[in-house]
Parts: sequence; C-alpha cells; structure tokens
Amino acid sequence: MTGIEQRAVCSGVNFRSIRDDRFKTIRMSVHFLWPLAKETVSENSILPFLLSRASRKYPDFSKLNAHLAELYGAVLDANVQKLGDIQVLSVSASGIADRYSLNGESVSAELAKLLCSIIFDPPLENGLFPVQGFEQEKRQLIEMVDSEFNDKRMYAKLKCEELMCAKEPYGIGRCGTRQQIQELKREDLTQVWENLIHRAKAEIMVLGDCDPEPVYQDFYAAFQNLARTDSVDCPNQSVPSAASAAETTEKMDVVQSKLVMGFRTACAEPDAGVPAMKLFNALFGGTPSSKLFLNVREKLSLCYYCSSQFNPMKGILLVQSGVETKNIDRAKQEILNQLEEVQKGSFDENELAAAKLSLCNSYRTLSDSLDGLEAWYLSQTFRPKVKRPEEEAELVNAVTREQVIEAARKLTLDTVYRLEGSGVEA
Amino acid sequence: MDWLKKITSERTGDFYYTGKHSSGLTVTVYPKEKNNSTYAIFGTKYGSIDNCFKTAQESEPHRVPAGIAHYLEHKMFESEDGDAFKRFAKTGASANAYTSFDMTCYLFSCTENVYESLKILLDFVQSPYFTEQTVQKEQGIIGQEIKMYDDDPQWRVLFNLLDALYQKHPVRTDIAGTVETIAKITPDLLYQCYHTFYNLNNMVLCIAGNVQPDRVAEMCDEMLKPAQPVQIDRIFEQEPDHIVKARVEQKLSVAVPLFELGFKEKVSSKRPSVKEIAETEILLEAISSNASPLFRRLLDAGLINEASFGNEYFEGPGYASVIFSGESKDPEQVAQEIKREIENVRKNGFDRRIFECAKKAVYGRNIASLNHVGSIANSLVSLAFSGRELFQYIDAVAQTDLNSVMARLENQLHSEFSSLSVIFPNQ
Repeated sequence: MTGIEQRAVCSGVNFRSIRDDRFKTIRMSVHFLWPLAKETVSENSILPFLLSRASRKYPDFSKLNAHLAELYGAVLDANVQKLGDIQVLSVSASGIADRYSLNGESVSAELAKLLCSIIFDPPLENGLFPVQGFEQEKRQLIEMVDSEFNDKRMYAKLKCEELMCAKEPYGIGRCGTRQQIQELKREDLTQVWENLIHRAKAEIMVLGDCDPEPVYQDFYAAFQNLARTDSVDCPNQSVPSAASAAETTEKMDVVQSKLVMGFRTACAEPDAGVPAMKLFNALFGGTPSSKLFLNVREKLSLCYYCSSQFNPMKGILLVQSGVETKNIDRAKQEILNQLEEVQKGSFDENELAAAKLSLCNSYRTLSDSLDGLEAWYLSQTFRPKVKRPEEEAELVNAVTREQVIEAARKLTLDTVYRLEGSGVEA
Repeated sequence: MDWLKKITSERTGDFYYTGKHSSGLTVTVYPKEKNNSTYAIFGTKYGSIDNCFKTAQESEPHRVPAGIAHYLEHKMFESEDGDAFKRFAKTGASANAYTSFDMTCYLFSCTENVYESLKILLDFVQSPYFTEQTVQKEQGIIGQEIKMYDDDPQWRVLFNLLDALYQKHPVRTDIAGTVETIAKITPDLLYQCYHTFYNLNNMVLCIAGNVQPDRVAEMCDEMLKPAQPVQIDRIFEQEPDHIVKARVEQKLSVAVPLFELGFKEKVSSKRPSVKEIAETEILLEAISSNASPLFRRLLDAGLINEASFGNEYFEGPGYASVIFSGESKDPEQVAQEIKREIENVRKNGFDRRIFECAKKAVYGRNIASLNHVGSIANSLVSLAFSGRELFQYIDAVAQTDLNSVMARLENQLHSEFSSLSVIFPNQ
C-alpha cells in the first residue's frame, strides 16, 4: 500500500508526496487553483504554457528543450482543466529516476530546480513576458481550443456541459473563448502571474522514485520569498435538480450523430452519498456489463458507444452516445427506460456485484501510475479529509442495493444535446 | 514450468519468463510484484491486412472481405452460453480487444481474481460461436463504428495517406472495412479465418503485473487445447516501390487543417532489426523533436503547434513508412520544410550534441514505458510477432552511434517516395 505524506508549505499551499521505487520515473507538479470566471479564465489559461517554455537560465525555447532531452527526455508540461467551478492551472516535470541515468546525473534534483525557476523566475524583459513567447503561446492556445471541435464526441460532451451549466461557472470553457484569447494583452500578464503565485491556492505533488525532501525545501524557500498572507476563496456550487429538460439540436455536416443527455443528481462532493452515486453510474452506464452497454448497444444494436460518466464535483451525470440520426429518439427513449429500470430496482445481485468489482478495480489500478495518483489526489483537494483510492473502494463496497435505487431516483434530466449529421459521407 | 526461460535486463534490473508451451502457444510472463494490477493479452498474428491466405495443406488461397479480422474480434466475445463481458464482470476485470493491421488482441486488466480472469480469457478466445443471427446483429454496431471513423479526422488523414502511398498492399484498406464489405461476412467465412489464424502456434499470451509464472504455466496446462503446427502463407501482391500520388485531400468538419506526411520505404521479407528500429527512432528524434532546429523554425513561423506535431515509424509485414503529422494552417509549407531539413541532414550530418541528446531522450522514454503493465504487455505482443526482443531493443538504443544512424538515413526519408495527406475544413 502506498503511503502519502502531506504538509503545508504556507497559507493555501500544500505539499503531497508519495515515494515509491516500483516506479522507474518521477513526476512533480504544481497546480494553481482559481475560481472560474469569464473575466479571468483566458488570461489565467495562457500562463502555464507561457511559464513552461522558458526560464531565466534557459530563456530560449530550443535550449530549454535540449536541456530536457539531455535529462533523458524529461518533459515540462502545462495543462488547464476544470475541477468543478475551479480552474486548475498546472505545470509539471517528469523524467526517469536517478538510478537509470547512464552517467550518474541526478535528474530529480535538476527537475525540481527547473520547475521552481520557470514558475517563480520567468525571463521577464522590462517586467513583461517576452513578446515572441507570448505570441507563440497565444496562437497555440487558440489552435488548442479550435481543435476541440475536431473530435465530435468530445465536442458534443463539452457543448452539453456548456448549455447545462450556462448559469454556473462550470459552463465556462476551460480556456474561455477564442475571442477572449485573441484579445489577451502581454502587458496584463505579469500581474496575472503575480496574482496566481501570491493568491491562488496551490497543490504541489511529488510522486515516484525520488526523495521528496530536497524538492520540498526548494518550494518552501520559493514560497517563503513571496510572503503570502491569504489565498483566494474557491467556491463550488451544485444545482440539485432540474425543473424541466431543455433540448438543443445542432446540425452539422458529419456522418454520425451524437446524443448527450445531462442529468442533475442532487449529490456532489463532499456529500456522503457520492460513493452510492458512483456505484449507480457504474451499474447504469459505466462499464461493458452496464445497462446502457448491454441494452442500447448490444441488444438493440443502436450504437457503437453508449456510456455514462458521473462528475462528483458538480453532481452531474452525462450519458453519451453515437447514433444514426434516424435512431436518436429511439436511443434517447431506451436510455430513459434503462434509468427507470434501475429506479424500479430491476437489477440483480450479480449486476450490483459486477459494478462494485469494476469500480474497485479501477480505484486499485490508479495507484499503479503516477498520472492516476496525481489525478486522484488533485480530485481530493476540496475534501475535508483526503481519502486514498483504496479507502474509496471500501466505501463503494459498503453501498447497499437500496442506496443505489435511492441514488437513481435522485436523477432529473436537465439538458439534451443532439448533434445531427446528414448521414452521408462528404 | 522449465519451458519458461528467464530473460534479464542488466541495464534495468527487470526480468521476465518466456517459452513455447506444449500446446504451441508462446507465453511470456513479466512479474511486477509491487503492482496492484495485472494486464494480460491473448493475441493472434492476424490483422486487417491478412485478406488473402492459404495453409500449407491447401492448394488455392482464400480471399476474404475487408474488415473480417475486426468483425471476428467483435464476435469472439459471444459464446453459446453468453457474453465474455458478463463473465469478466464476475471477476471485476476490465476487458477489451482491438484489431490492428497485423494482429488481433484480447485483453484484460485486473487487481484481483487474476487466474480466474485468465481462465476466462483463454477459454473464450478458444471457443468460437457464430450463427447467422448473431453475425447479422453485429452489422448495426460495426456499421456505427465505421461511421464514427468516417467523421474522425485523425483516422481519415491516416487512411487517405496510406491509400496514396500504397498501390497494392492491403494496409491501404480501412481496418474495419466498409459497410459494403462487412455485409458479405458469413458464419462460414468467420470459422474459416478463425481456424486458420487462431491456431495456438500463431498466437501469444503476454502477462505483466502481479502474477506468478508457475501459476500461469499451470493455467496453460489446464486450458490450452493442443494444436497441430500451422504454416500460413499470407499472400500479398508485389508492392511497387513508387507511390500512388504525392498529394491527397479531403474536406471534413474540422476547425484547423490536419496533415500527415509519409515517406514510403522499400521493404524486404525480413522485418527491421532492433538495431534498425532504434536507429530510426533516434534519427526522427534528432530531426524533429521539440529541441530540434526544424521544430523551432516551424514553430516560429506559426506553422505547427506543440500539442499536435509528432512522428511515427509505421512498420509491419510488407510495409514501412515514416510519418510526420500535426495541425497546420499551411501543411504544404510544413512538408517542404521537413523535406529540406532531411536533405540538409543527409548532406551535412548532425551535430554530435544533437545526436547524443536525441539518444538520451529515446532511452529515457523507453525506460519510462516499463512503468506501466499495459504498455509492457502490448510491447511484448508486438515484439513477439515481429521477431524482436524488448531488452535487446533498450540495449540497442543505448548502444547506437552516430555513424549507424547516418547509414540508416540512406535507406529512409526519400522525398520521391513521399505523399502529403491533408484534411481541410469544409466551410
């Protein structure tokens, strides 16, 4: 069993580490958390990309990357995601464990220094981020937002969430709109950066085969320098139920149509009912032995995929499916029928046991990858007490049949999004 | 279990066991005792390109419809007494399968009930059951899968490229086939393909994770039905050296144009060795990684982005191509820049430091890939089918020198055998 160590660095900044030599790699990451808001979403979202392209010691993009290649292909990565109504801005460094370096270099010590320097000591020129890097990252961010349109399955899901949560911060795209990114000004970004490092909540994670102590010391010193006094509040709202279902249809020149149904579940973190809702989701549409897979796909042969995902931070559940246009209504009706079946208690002990086994399997598997561990512990940020994946598995195992039925009955349909294709190849 | 031999990597300290079971099946077990999860793959050397074949006993070759290997994969999950997913549901294993150009793999990942799950895997893949009715039913599901791929720009840009590079080789045909070809699939055809290619002598079992080799060996003794060795002739028409066309375009619902630039290579009946593969990987890293001068020029010109630009050595039985891919507002310009850089390297060579960096980066990535049981098991299967060995490959990367990389370049990346495939926005 892997132990996690936690300590505070300063006000609003936590440090978590798992040292485990079963991994051949290390991963260290810093996640800044900021409430999602239209005004700040885009200027925040460019920052991790801007920071991870240069440091004062390596102000040139190619030289920094040559240095990373020399460190056995180490990677500096930037990411933006949503955790409920909170925007998570991440910068991470990963590479091989010191024991695998061919010439005795310490990859971990160098990556910790590098990560600290890109975050706290960017190569500002006259107090501003260099113009070339800024323009470069702005263009790339626009292309990243544009490319979300290319994958229609992803696009349809994002569209449904946007419509469903239009009145909540969660309805804002993770990087804001294309237009907002276009309007970003280099002159504003130094202040945005100052705000983030001084006032955002931050989670630092050091995972894998390396001693976390020196990394802690590096970050401790860096944050002490800032003399932080307070950190921004990150509220997260969840709408318990929907009065009626809104339907939106968008026509597009694609062969296959997509159907996404968004439900409110009246159950979100840190509610004690979350494990029961997760189990309901697994039984309903989370696995290849679920109601949706076996009935909508296998029995009726209506689609290639039909599955559900529960978002415990927001308390929403989405059902996604790829179907022929003429079958959209049938698929929708069958999805609702299957929900009713669970609400009526029409599932047997085998189905319940299978859902438990499958969920517990995925929790235990998380601990075998650094990415899995990082995502899990990041999701625990706003819980009063951090749970290990194994503890979550135990809670899921203790859920009763009645609790699953109760969870199913809490669902109300909020939004139906259809992306209707012409059905013919272009 | 003395048929399982231990193979150790001095460089990484890792080891695995491998050997041929008396049934004819090649078995590999890669223990990771500290892991929670185990990942197992039962695979056959049979993919979408194997559409024309005969066994040594047969006089005439069989020609079967495109997409049949993939169709067979879907149908294997059904047996007379129910569906394999339902059986795995009882053990908690997460099961799946995939068909590629040259293999079909059935797999599960689990954290408990490993041997029970293994038993199900070995059983259902050895128990074909097809009827008119069950075969018919799958046409709806696979038809929707094909349509999903029709809209997928990443998928289309690749198959348009392969269609432009290859004149005869079946690698140019979509893995799932088309709605028309799958309509021709019958239970008899499925049985014929099954009995040819799902012979244990043409298959491998690779398991990585929290498992004991002796218990895997016992399970093999219990579950495997001995098979007569089979010799399969896969019949491919002679593929000419030259390409079909240098340029192919399609319009789809995308926001940014996507491209793939492929360089077709001459191939012999012998697949490239671990040494040659290592040389190519390092060569591609040195030419186009994000530390390279080429990458920097393209980025500064606003022609590529970090999120999408990449390369791949696309190699299998009878085909080999280097493919560069990404999103770009001007794919034609990107293609020209890449070709110019290749010719520059061919003429002037690499700076030693660029070469050393590229080699270290490729080495580091390969070490990192040994973290994950899924990537280990998948590598073991594809290496087994191509006659290569995992630890020898990692050693080859560490031992590659600049001269051999330059020598490798002589046979690769020739512009006269290249094609550019582009997907443009349709509005």
